[in-house]
Amino acid sequence: MKLIKPFIVFIALSFGAAQAVLEVTVVKKDEDAFPIIVSHFELTGKGAQDKDISKIIQANLERSGRFNVVIPDIIISQDVNAQHWKHQAIEAVVTGSIEQQSDKIYKLSVSLFDVYSNKQLFTKTTRVHVSGFRKVAHQLSDHIYEALLGESGSFNTLLTYVTVTTDAKGDKEYRLNISDSDAMNVKSRIKLKTPILSPVWSPDRSYEHKKIAYVSFENDRSEVFVWHPYTRRKIEKLPRFDGIASAPSWHPDGKSLVLTLSKNGNKDIYSYTLADKKLTQLTHNPSIDTEASYSPDGTQLAFTSNRSGQVQIYIKNLSTGKINRATFEGRYNAKAVFSPDGKSLAMVHRVDNDYRIAMLDIKTKDLSMMTDNELDESPYFSPNGDMIIFATNRNNKNLLSVVSVEGNRSYELSSQTGEVREPNWSTYLEK
Amino acid sequence: MKKIILLPLVAILSACTGADGILGSNTVLIEEGGSEGKAVDAIVRDESSFNWSDLTNPFNKASNTTQAGAKAQAVAELKASDTNFVLYFSYDGADIGDKATQEIIKHANFMRDNPSVKLRLEGHADERGTREYNLALGENRALSVKEVLGLYEGLDGRIEVISFGEESPIAKAHDESGWEKNRRVEFIYQ
Repeated sequence: MKLIKPFIVFIALSFGAAQAVLEVTVVKKDEDAFPIIVSHFELTGKGAQDKDISKIIQANLERSGRFNVVIPDIIISQDVNAQHWKHQAIEAVVTGSIEQQSDKIYKLSVSLFDVYSNKQLFTKTTRVHVSGFRKVAHQLSDHIYEALLGESGSFNTLLTYVTVTTDAKGDKEYRLNISDSDAMNVKSRIKLKTPILSPVWSPDRSYEHKKIAYVSFENDRSEVFVWHPYTRRKIEKLPRFDGIASAPSWHPDGKSLVLTLSKNGNKDIYSYTLADKKLTQLTHNPSIDTEASYSPDGTQLAFTSNRSGQVQIYIKNLSTGKINRATFEGRYNAKAVFSPDGKSLAMVHRVDNDYRIAMLDIKTKDLSMMTDNELDESPYFSPNGDMIIFATNRNNKNLLSVVSVEGNRSYELSSQTGEVREPNWSTYLEK
Repeated sequence: MKKIILLPLVAILSACTGADGILGSNTVLIEEGGSEGKAVDAIVRDESSFNWSDLTNPFNKASNTTQAGAKAQAVAELKASDTNFVLYFSYDGADIGDKATQEIIKHANFMRDNPSVKLRLEGHADERGTREYNLALGENRALSVKEVLGLYEGLDGRIEVISFGEESPIAKAHDESGWEKNRRVEFIYQ
């Protein structure tokens, strides 16, 4: 584990107008990070000149903390000299070319070369529409990651987060943003003067079905909305319930969600099916029950409750109906989310006066501290389970932090113009 | 009429004299109040602040004070009369202490005297802990206040409860000096 000089990634590709772009800072990298050359791509044709997506791949691999990316000044040809790179302690070389074929269509060819075996691991050749470059760059990053590390990457995925800016008069603007996993390609279509909370991506893999559930105070009370960002940009509001409606979280089938309602003042967890608007009560307890989250197989539900007099995490087995307390360490454990393999929970854990992110092994009940900050909240796993994204506070400003589950790698996403909070990471997108 | 009002009042005032001041169920507290002379004394004192004539005929005053201006003036007078419009809470707590109960009684009396006013109770939390839990906690705080007011006949239906959780702090300091001001319920008359 070593601290490295912050590596600031700021790619301004001319396609896709970005707004409120977050600054990415790599804080900590793996000691044994994989040394890799990612060469600039060879560009042919006038339109190709500003489309060197090797920059996106470089930034992706660097940000993961598992690679030491070396960017040569000259373009390396796809005919790689293994002996030369071996001497420089480089283990893999990525090369590529982009050739304009028509106004909007480009031919892309990218190769991954393994220096030690002196073998080409793959060459991917594809035709790309001008609008698809970023997606292809993220897919290629996933291919490289998997070919070299034997694990899935999380690059071809999406983030959602809330930004807050304050104008000269002190008035706040809240934006619900979506972006690629590298915090680029930002779309912020929902802008309000009132708070936005808890955005969460539906588990659907296709853009057509992808939705974001979130909480908004735009009608002067907390209500749950479902936004379809890619289909007619539709926003549906869930029916009006008495009291608060909040803490939405999707069932793994994407057809229903769980949320907290306070009918008669008592906060319990309910499931709500979008198609038939059916509401089913899942907890019945006079204490606060909130922040529910399904296990990846949909058989269990973790939630926060103060039924013991302390704020702790409980897990409901949805087939037997049995509820068991999951956390016993500390007096405050809240907002738990399951890891993609279902074996762990990430949560907010209070130590003395600090609120930190901790990870619980559900079987052994071992609780490990992921951070040593003062005010962490809203943890969520990357889709490959390798990292946890959460909101933290530094110099009285919210920013996002991403740490590996082993704790040896981390990076930050911060805004120059305001605060960033409430992060959520999508599942893998369709290929 | 007088008797109906008196019973819940016994409940509130006996709660004030209790050790922790937490209001439990109506029935239990009435029994406690009946067995303690102290609580009865308190009722006699508080009775003087009640305008009984208004209560026996709620329309004799209300019909003339339905205009927004008159309501606003009544609220301004209440504010000027040394009544707290914000109540503060302990960390992760929603309990109402003795002093807070006294303030709530002033508001209850005011609502009795002004039958056309509606009250919105806004519950808030400090920034520590998760946003969603704090939203729930803020609502519990406002509901605790409403529970006391609801012991008075006819007030319950005029009270709206809202929670903003930690989203609307009044103090900016990120330490106890700010947090103690942000764990609150605000009384907003409409």
